[in-house]
Parts: sequence; C-alpha cells; structure tokens
Amino acid sequence: MDIIQMKNVSFSYQQDQPVLDGINLNIKKGEWVTILGHNGSGKSTLSKLLIGLLKPSQGEIIIDNITLSRETVHEARKHIGIVFQNPDNQFVGVTVRDDIAFGLENLQVPRNEMVERIDKYAHKVHMAEYLNKEPHNLSGGQKQRVAIAGILAMQTDIIIFDEATSMLDPKGRRMILDYMSQLNKEGVTIITITHDMKEAVLSDRIVVLKKGKIIKVDKAKSVLKDQETLEKSNLELLLPLKVLNYLEKENIDNEKVRSYLWELSLTR
Amino acid sequence: MKNIVIGRYIPGNSFLYKMDPRTKIISLFVLMVAVFMIPRDAFEMMFIGIGLIVLLLLIGKISIKRVYLGLRPLMFLLIFTFVFQILFNRQGPELQSWDLNYSFLNIIAAAVLVLFWIFTKKYVRTKILYFAFMLVGVIIILNQLSLGNVFSTGQLVIHEEALLIGFFIMMRLIIIVTLSTVLTLSTKPTDLNLGLEAVMKPLKFLRINTEEIAMIISISLRYIPTLLDEANKIMLAQASRGVDFAEGKLKDKVMQIISLLVPMFIISFKRSDELANAMEARCFIPGATRTRLHQLFWNRLDTVALVVSLIILIGSITVRVVV
Repeated sequence: MDIIQMKNVSFSYQQDQPVLDGINLNIKKGEWVTILGHNGSGKSTLSKLLIGLLKPSQGEIIIDNITLSRETVHEARKHIGIVFQNPDNQFVGVTVRDDIAFGLENLQVPRNEMVERIDKYAHKVHMAEYLNKEPHNLSGGQKQRVAIAGILAMQTDIIIFDEATSMLDPKGRRMILDYMSQLNKEGVTIITITHDMKEAVLSDRIVVLKKGKIIKVDKAKSVLKDQETLEKSNLELLLPLKVLNYLEKENIDNEKVRSYLWELSLTR
Repeated sequence: MKNIVIGRYIPGNSFLYKMDPRTKIISLFVLMVAVFMIPRDAFEMMFIGIGLIVLLLLIGKISIKRVYLGLRPLMFLLIFTFVFQILFNRQGPELQSWDLNYSFLNIIAAAVLVLFWIFTKKYVRTKILYFAFMLVGVIIILNQLSLGNVFSTGQLVIHEEALLIGFFIMMRLIIIVTLSTVLTLSTKPTDLNLGLEAVMKPLKFLRINTEEIAMIISISLRYIPTLLDEANKIMLAQASRGVDFAEGKLKDKVMQIISLLVPMFIISFKRSDELANAMEARCFIPGATRTRLHQLFWNRLDTVALVVSLIILIGSITVRVVV
C-alpha cells in the first residue's frame, strides 16, 4: 500500500519558474526513501509540500489516504513528522522535557500519557538524563535527538529527515543514522532528504532530483552505481566507487579488489 | 555568555519554593496594596511591616544578601527621594537648621570637594556612605567657612515631617522591592510564566489571548541565550575585521552597534521563520486548545499563605479607616 502518493505535483514561488515540476512519486509503507539532489534541486521544497507548509500549485498529495488541503492539513500532520536541518531553530521548549511535550500538548494528549511517552522516547534517543536541561547546554547532536524524540512521541507513521545530519559532527551524525535504521526496522516510513551519499546508502530507494524534476528513481544500489545520473545532477560518487572507476580506467583488473570495493561502498 | 541566568531564580528548599506561583503572584499583589494602605502617620505599622518581611526571609530561607543585591540598583532612587524630601518638604516643626554662606571661595571649595568625590568614588567600596560624607562635607564647608566676600546667605532647614515622610517612602519602596525579589528568587521563570498565564486568565473576557502571551514569553525565555550567543559570535567576527566595540568616539560606537544590530535583526527573522515552520509541522495551531504538561497544584499551604496576606491587607485597611 502506498502511504504517500504525489500525483503530478508542481510548485513555484514565482510564475514560470517552477521549483518542482510534475513530480510523480509513490512511497510504500515501511519504506526508506532517500531524496537526493544538489542545492537548489527543490528537495527541501518537496519536504515542505509533504508536511503541508507549502501548497502545491498543481497536482495533489495524498498522505495516509488524506488528500492535503487547507482543511485536512492539520489532520494529515498527525501522520507525518519532520526533523529539520538546524537543531536550534526547531527547539521550542525551555527544557528538553518541554520540547518533547510540545507536540503532545498540541495533539491534546492527556497529561498522564504525555509523561509516559516523554519518558519512553527520551530513553529511546538516550536523552533521559537530560530531561531538565536547557537547549543551550546541549550539543547539536543532542538537540537533534530531542527533535527526533519529539516527533517519535507524536507516534507518526512517517518521518522526514530534512538534511537533519548536515550540521552535526561525525559522531552525532552516526547516532542519528542509527536511529533511522532502527526506526525503519520498527516499521516507520522514513524519507531522508540529503546530498550526502553515505546517508543514501542505507535506504531502500533513491529518488534523484534535478532542477525540480525527478531524473531517476530506483533501488539504492543501482542508483549509486549509476555514474551518469549522479554526475548529471552534480552529486559526488562514493569514494570506493571512485577508486573502482580509476581501476577500470587504468585497466587494473583484479576481481578481488573490485568486489571488496563494492562491498565497502555499501557499508558505513 | 552562554550560561547567563534569566530571572534571578536561586534553587532552594523552603515553603516559598513549594508554593503555587499563582499564590505567590496574588499574594505579592495583595501585600503591595496593603503596604500602600498604611497611612503616613502610622509609623509603627511600617516597622511591623519590616518585621514581617524579615520574618518571611528567615522562614523562607532567603539570604538577606540576595535581597540586598536586588535592592542595590534602587539605592540611588531611595536616596534621591530622601534627599528630595529633606530639601523641599517644609511641613511640621523645624528640627535643625544651618546657615549657609555663599561666597565665591566657599562655592569653589565645595565644588572641589564634589569633584574629588566624583573622581575617587570608584575606588571606594561603600559608595552610599561616601556620598553621604560628601554631602555633609559640602554643608560643613558652606556653614562653617566664610572665605572672602559673602554675597548671599541661605538656610538649610530640616523639618520633622520631611524626615518622617522621607523615611516612610524609603521603607515602603524597600518592602515592595523585597517582596518582588522574593518572588523572582523563589520561582523559576517558567513557573512564573505559568502563574502569570493563570492569573491573567480573566483577561480572556477582554479578548486577550493569555495562552498566546504565555507562549511568546516562554519562547523568548528559550531564545535569549541562543541570541546572546549569536551576538557574541557576530561581535567576534566583526572584531576580527577590526571593529573595536570597547573604544572609539560616540559616532564610531553608534556605527559599531549598527554593525551588530543589522545581522542580529536578520538572523532573528530567519530563526523565527524556521521556528514557526517547525512549530506548525508539530501540529501547533494558534488559538487551539492544548493540554498542558505543566500543571499547577493548589496545596493547603497556598490557602494559608493567601489567607495570611488577606489578613494583613484587612489589618492595614482597618488602621487606615479607624485611625
């Protein structure tokens, strides 16, 4: 079953300058999809459309059988959550506890259940001991984990990570990626928006965006191998693949090295 | 810069910390009215008031030093009102009077003393005492010396009423400031915000959305350290390009402040845009009903505190009406 359906979606801030142009995309429940694209490819606009912060100028978006419109957008947001890029600008509460509670307060969750959920999801992202801390005493990675807990506590079926790791240090990034894999295993539909190939490796499917158009949708492995598409959209190849290319170009043929490099490119 | 304390909350453990913020705010209001109700001639009432405040500080385990720190910015105002009363209030019997001789040399001597005070006051720790010394010194010079040609004489007269009212007003200010200091010392800013929201609820009838005001205050509280941090970064960035925020002429300083303010302004707008998106994405609908994580609980302690403050109010009203 498709949990997200985008039918011929276009969006433009100014007329005749479409940021997104005729996007058709279906995402299955429990799938992990990466939306890959260079700066200005329209990938962040796509995420804003999905969460209903922007309204498509053409086409329709269906999330969990709800067609997005001005009336239904609040209902649809109960099914889809988003973690933004800047950890500071999405921290609403005065403390970690308040921030996780923010979404629950909006959903009018009764207080008893709220306390339970805060506890559960703070443990899940390993922030339980920081519940009373204020945001300026936390690192970027910790703030991002709080943001994830805030979305998890709302128990949405879909989580979008909009370049959520791009402002973090390697350790913070690895932790967030671990949570993504874990959540995906638990059945949450995950959409990561990124230009980092290492994040893309983990997903099931990759959508490559260029100038507002989808130029390729395929299994992660085949997209990562597809040099032509990646180069066309200004994306960098994974390092092992670069080496592999070099070996081929120089006619150094060693089956063992090749298979090792391919193997390497699919691990973190 | 990062760990700046907003409000002056000092963690502690006494009945003041266990009280509901609503009670504290209402009691503060009731007691303030009570203090203003004390008639001007009921001097002993003021002393009872001071006594009660000291009692409150002792039972509430609030350090006197903290309260003094809260009062210090007001010292100037306190002394100013006192001096103002002494100089200009001419009611009641005369207590003491000094003849003042104005001559050029006398005035110059007094001016020298004032100048000396201005330049040395930063090295003296007890500034208020030093200020009093200066004043007394000026009066002694004008009173005792009669250097050169005295072209005019004057009189400094202290009336009883001036002394009493000056003292009275000072006491009143001290009590009120101490009470509000106790409130801010013993209540977290977030709790204070919650309490204010609850107390302001009747304003809903005037179509003022108190929940939104509370949300605005809470977001401001959350972003003050972040923005201070940002300002610090910008100042460092500007300093690395040669801007000197500490020195320079006034005109240069204004330009430097602008070089700080413009980026701060833009950054705040960008931040608030992203924050609004994040809030909306998490199902925030302005004006919609929300459940609350923080709830206020009314204890027996709160009832007792409120009753005590009401009794004090009634007491001071009675004194005003009866006496």
